[in-house]
Amino acid sequence: MACALRPTLLRQALAAPSKRAFSSAVPAFRSQRQSVKPSWSSQRAAFQTSARRPILPPLPQVIHGSVNDPVKTPEPHPSHGSYHWTAERLVSAALLPITIMPFAVGSLNPVLDGTFIGLIIIHTYIGFQSCITDYIPTWRMPTVRKLFDWANVLAVFVVGWGYYEFETNDVGLTEAVKRVWRAGSNAKEVADKAS
Amino acid sequence: MALRLASRRFAPQVFRRGMATTIEHTKEPIAATAEATSASRPPIPANKTSTEHEPKKDENSRIKTFNIYRWNPDEPASKPKMQSYTLDLNKTGPMMLDALIRIKNEVDPTLTFRRSCREGICGSCAMNIDGRIPTDTAKDSKIYPLPHTYVVKDLVPDLTQFYKQYKSIKPYLQRDTPSPDGKENLQSKEDRRKLDGLYECILCACCSTSCPSYWWNSEEYLGPAVLMQSYRWIADSRDEKTAQRKDQLNNSMSLYRCHTILNCSRTCPKGLNPALAIAEIKKSMAFA
Repeated sequence: MACALRPTLLRQALAAPSKRAFSSAVPAFRSQRQSVKPSWSSQRAAFQTSARRPILPPLPQVIHGSVNDPVKTPEPHPSHGSYHWTAERLVSAALLPITIMPFAVGSLNPVLDGTFIGLIIIHTYIGFQSCITDYIPTWRMPTVRKLFDWANVLAVFVVGWGYYEFETNDVGLTEAVKRVWRAGSNAKEVADKAS
Repeated sequence: MALRLASRRFAPQVFRRGMATTIEHTKEPIAATAEATSASRPPIPANKTSTEHEPKKDENSRIKTFNIYRWNPDEPASKPKMQSYTLDLNKTGPMMLDALIRIKNEVDPTLTFRRSCREGICGSCAMNIDGRIPTDTAKDSKIYPLPHTYVVKDLVPDLTQFYKQYKSIKPYLQRDTPSPDGKENLQSKEDRRKLDGLYECILCACCSTSCPSYWWNSEEYLGPAVLMQSYRWIADSRDEKTAQRKDQLNNSMSLYRCHTILNCSRTCPKGLNPALAIAEIKKSMAFA
């Protein structure tokens, strides 16, 4: 199998070594489309069938200032630092009791449901924001970073609207969790009924 | 002497002799050996002497393979490669560093790595080794430079950014008021005890380079080693710039990229706990 494919793969690798031209996973299709292109030869060996495209590959080393200068110290921003961290932990800690409370008390209070949803939204917003800060550095991709930050804000409103619809037109979050929790508990009866 | 020199100078070419004695002027070498092995002193024949064999392979030898990361800056176009070396563990010391030094001394002198004290004090030889002591010969040992560092050569990483970050936290005592007795800044035993587990850090960069968060954001995130040293000065009762030190960390990148992954505490060769130090900084800043 591999021997039969090798000339195809070689041609593929020689023709497009630096970029993944087509996303088709089947080499046969790719080779057909490749054959239309003029085949300019490359010195690179056909080790991989498709070129590697790493996300944010490491850049060449850059040393700002001399070797003996300390790195730049950023301005203090407590709202992005200590206050942010404290709020994040408080929200996470508050989520735990509020998740259990409706079931422990056994009542469905819309205000409690609303608080729960609000905290969940804040919690997910902070969580995704953390991922964005980790993986999209501002110094490297400022535009993409801005795009993702605003997409995250947009997601807050979209999800909030979704929850609003779910609360007003459907059973609500607590009841949904209760149903999911008990899903399958009556599976036997349902199966018996069906048969 | 003078006569000899003169004779050499004025003698005809045929009788002149250079500094070296040439073969035609001395005895024939065959004749010379014949004199040494004359009939009066015959050598003991081979069948009456014991035979010296080529040294046999030791049955007890424990041959272990070491796969070592190699990259030569003199050939920047060639890719890094893993080079295999085999050593007999019976002739090698117990440490990975012993094996590396033996490879460099006896097998391949081009292998490059940093080492100085070989006893965990200087932190020069920090590298990515597969376990501590390579006793299991069935398994190959792999040796890499510290992960996610720019490699200078073979196992030598570039720690410039690490040292620049260390410098940025001002790792020295900062005081505005002079000491009470004008000589030294005294400290209670309890205050001194707070620095235990912090001051022992040798800045080998094992923890920082094992931290995924530091891998992604080493430009801005300070990393566990530097943060622990920052806490070492925040916790110091004699230091008077604690607020400024904390302010310096109070942004989204410098400190709070720590997500308590805890690779740092797991990897520390000195058994220190950078994650705890970072948690202490976060705690002290949380409700300040």
